[in-house]
Amino acid sequence: MIKEGLGEKSTFANCHPIVNVVYFALVIGITMFSMNPWFITITIFFAWTYSILLSGKKAIKYNILFTIPIIIIMSVINALFINNGATVLFFLNDNRVTLEAFVYGIAAAALISAVIIWFSCFNVVMSADKLIYLFGRITPVLALTLSMIFRFIPLLKERFKEIVMGQKCMGRHRGGSIFFRMRQRIKEVSILVSWSLEAAIETSDSMEARGYGLHGRTSFHLFKLSYRDKILLVLELIFGLITILGCMTGLNNIYYYPKIVLKNMDLWMGITLLTYMVLMSLPIVLDIRGEKKWQEYRLEA
Amino acid sequence: MAGIQVRGLSFKYPTGEKWALDNLDFEVSPSEFVVICGKSGCGKSTLLRQFKKNLTPYGDRIGEVLYDNIPVGELDDRRNATDIGFVQQNPDNQLVTDKVWHELAFGLESLGLDNQTIKRRVAEMASFFDIQGWFRKNVADLSGGQKQLLNLASIMAMQPEILILDEPTSQLDPIAADEFLKIIYKINRELGTTVIISEHRLEELFTMADRVIVMEGGKIIADASPTKVGEILAGEDINKPNPMFYGLPAIMKIYAHNVKSMGAKMRAKRAEMPLTIREGRLWLEEVLAEAPKVGRADFEMESRKDSKTENKLKSEKKDEPIISLKDLWFRYSRESSDVLRGLNLDVNKGEFFCLLGGNGVGKSTTLKAITGIIKPQMGSIFVDGLKVKKENFKALFKNKLSMLPQNPQALFTELSAEEELLESLYREKISDVEKVDRVEKMLEMMEISHLRKSHPYDLSGGEQQRLALGKILLLEPTVLLLDEPTKGLDPFFKITLSGIFQKLKKQGVTIFMVSHDVEFCAEYADKCAMFFDGDVVSVGSPKEFFAGNSFYTTSANRLVRRWYPEGITWEEVSLWIEKTMIK
Repeated sequence: MIKEGLGEKSTFANCHPIVNVVYFALVIGITMFSMNPWFITITIFFAWTYSILLSGKKAIKYNILFTIPIIIIMSVINALFINNGATVLFFLNDNRVTLEAFVYGIAAAALISAVIIWFSCFNVVMSADKLIYLFGRITPVLALTLSMIFRFIPLLKERFKEIVMGQKCMGRHRGGSIFFRMRQRIKEVSILVSWSLEAAIETSDSMEARGYGLHGRTSFHLFKLSYRDKILLVLELIFGLITILGCMTGLNNIYYYPKIVLKNMDLWMGITLLTYMVLMSLPIVLDIRGEKKWQEYRLEA
Repeated sequence: MAGIQVRGLSFKYPTGEKWALDNLDFEVSPSEFVVICGKSGCGKSTLLRQFKKNLTPYGDRIGEVLYDNIPVGELDDRRNATDIGFVQQNPDNQLVTDKVWHELAFGLESLGLDNQTIKRRVAEMASFFDIQGWFRKNVADLSGGQKQLLNLASIMAMQPEILILDEPTSQLDPIAADEFLKIIYKINRELGTTVIISEHRLEELFTMADRVIVMEGGKIIADASPTKVGEILAGEDINKPNPMFYGLPAIMKIYAHNVKSMGAKMRAKRAEMPLTIREGRLWLEEVLAEAPKVGRADFEMESRKDSKTENKLKSEKKDEPIISLKDLWFRYSRESSDVLRGLNLDVNKGEFFCLLGGNGVGKSTTLKAITGIIKPQMGSIFVDGLKVKKENFKALFKNKLSMLPQNPQALFTELSAEEELLESLYREKISDVEKVDRVEKMLEMMEISHLRKSHPYDLSGGEQQRLALGKILLLEPTVLLLDEPTKGLDPFFKITLSGIFQKLKKQGVTIFMVSHDVEFCAEYADKCAMFFDGDVVSVGSPKEFFAGNSFYTTSANRLVRRWYPEGITWEEVSLWIEKTMIK
C-alpha cells in the first residue's frame, strides 16, 4: 500500500468534488499566508504524510528533489541580499549577513515547498472529471471545453503516431542530416494539422446536430453529495473557520525583522493550532480508515 | 404524420456544373426502414444532409423537404435537434467529450435538461444499448464499433422520431458492422423510429429494409421493396445489368442471373427473390430436385478434376519466397500477453496474398513487424533476401518495400492530387521532367486524372484510397503491403482496385494484404491465410482455403457448400447451377 500509494482510489478522492476542493482551498490558502514556524511545521508534516499516502515511494523522491534545492537556494539568496536583522553572523564584501534573514529564507522556502507538495496531492485527488464538474458549476461551456481538451489530447497523439508510421512505411525514417530531419518533422506536423482541421468539421457538425448552441445549456455530472460528504464538508468548514479566525487575529504571523519574536503559547494559540491540525488530518484519517476496512474485507474473503 | 416528404428537390453545389440531386420526389412514412444505395458520389450523402437543417450543404436548391409538413429549413432549432438524429461515417470524429457518460449526455445538456432527467435518460439508453460495462470509460479506450454505437446511443438519448445514418459502418470491421446494423433494426422494430440509411453493406440490410431507393447521378432509378429492386437492377439483358447489380447480396445475384439465363422455370414456386442464405438454400433445394439425375458423384468428380489441374499449374510455378517470417514472437510490453506466437509465413514472389482474421489477432502487428516499425522479441524477417533491421532500412525501402496505411489521410500533405503524387518523389534524384512524367502515368493508372486539381480531402473515400496507393506506388516497390485497403469502399471501387492489383501483379509486384473482406479476398487473391492467436492456422488458394472453412467463407459458398464446396464466387456458383440444370 505504501509502496504504490493509494492514488485516485483513496477514500477521500472518492468523496464529492466540493469536499475535495474546499479542503484544498482551506489548506493551501492558510498555508500560503502563514509564516509562523508552528504553522509551517504543521503544514509540512501533513503535506508530506498525505503525499506519501497518496503516491507512495514516488512522492518521497519527488518531495526531496523539490524541497532541498528550494530551501538551500532561497535561504542563501535571502541571506545574501537582505541585510535587515539584528544578529549579524558575518560580513561579506561589507554586507551584513544576518541570522534573521537566513531564517526567514528557510521559512519562506519551507512554505513554498509545502504549497508545491499540497498541489501535487491536489493533482492526484482532483481527477479531470472533478475539474470539469467544478467548472461546470461556474459555466457549462467551460466544462465542455475542458472535456473536449481531454478528449482531443489522446486523439491527436494517436493520429500523430499513425502519421509517423505512415511516413516510415514510405521509407521516410527520421534520420539523415538536420535539414532532412527538420523537413520531415514539419511535414508530419503539417499532416496532423490538416487532418485534424478536416476532422473538426465533422465534430462540429455532430455537435450542432445534437443541439449545441441552443439556449440554456446545462452541465451533466455523475457526482452525488452523500451524507458522509455533507458531514465532511461541515467539519472542514468548522475547523477551517476557527483556524482562519485565529489567523485573523494575527496568530499565524511573526516578526522576523529586526529580531525574531515568537508569540507566546496561550490557550487561543493552542486551539488554533489544534483545529489546523485536525483540518489537515481529515483526509489522512479517512484514507487510513478506508484502507483498514479493505484489509479486513480481504482477510474475510 | 411525422414522416418526411421530398417535393421536387434539386440541388447544386456552388462549384458543381451538374445537379447533385435532380428533381427527387418521394415520401418516407413514419416507422419505415429505408435503405438508400448507389455508387460513391451518386448524391446519397447530399440527399441525407437535406433532412437536417444545420447539415444542409451550401448551394442552389429547388423544391423542399418537409418534416411533419414543415419545411426542414424552417424547423424550430429545438425540434431540429431532438426529432431528427444524424449519424455520420467516422466514429472518431463525431465524439466530442472525453467520457462515455458525458458523450451520452451531450445532446441532453444542449437541451438544458436538469441533472435528474439526464441521468434517467442516460440510464435508459445505456441499458438499451448494453453499454453499462464501459459507461465510465474514456472514449479513447473504446474500439471502433463501440465508438459508433456510442454515437448512435447519444443521438437516441434525445429520442428522435427519425434516424438518419450516412454509411455508418464503413469504418467498422464486419463483425462490429453486423452488430451495429442489428441494433438499428432493433431501434426500428422496438421503438418505431423511422430509419433512413445509406450503405454499401447490403447483404444484411436487404433483409431488414422495407424499401430500397437506388440512386444514380443524382436521380432515383429504383424505389421499391428489396426483392423488386433486385429484379429491376438485374435488368433485361443478362450481360448488361445495371452497375449497382454488383453490389447486391450474392444470393440475389445468383438467383437473378440464373433466372435470366435459364428462364422462368428457375423461379421454382417462388413469388419473390430469395434474400437470405436460408431462403436461397430452400430455393436451390427445389430447383436442384428438378435437375436431370446425374447424381452427386458427377459434380464431385468434375470439381476434383478442376482442383487437380489447378494443383498441377501451381506446382509448375516455382516457389520463391520474397517475404519470409521465421518463428516470430512479439508482445507490446513485458506484462502483456504475446501477440505473435511463433509465426512462420512465406509469401512467394508475384503473389497476391491475403491474410484474413478477426479483430486483434495480430494481423496489423504482423505488418508492423515486416516494415520494422516494431521489433519482435524473437525470430527474423527477410524481405527479398534482406533482413529487416535498422541498418537495412535504407536498402529495404529503396524500391523494395512499401506499405499503405489504413487511413489514407495519414499521407496527405499537399493542396492537390497531382502535387500530392509529386511530393512522393521529392527525395528521388531524377530530373523534373521525368518526375512529372511518372506522376502523369500514375494518375492514369489510378484512374484519377480528372481529379488532378482536387484537394485530397475533397475526394471520396475510394478516390483518397487510390491517391494514397498511387503515392506509395511511385516509390516503385516490389513488395506492397496493404492494411485493409477495401475498408469503406463501394463495390465498384473494389472492382477498380482489383484491376489495379492485377496490373501490378503483371509488373511483378508482390502484394501482401491484411483484410476482413472475405468476399474480396475470395474473388481476387492468389492465396489466403487465416490468422488466429498469433499464428497462421491455414493457408491455401482461395478454393482450398474457403472450401475448407464452413463459417468463415463467402456467402455464395455458404449457399452451395452442401452440393459444391469449391464454389466460392457468385459467378462460379451460378455457372455451376446452369451446368447441372442442363445436364
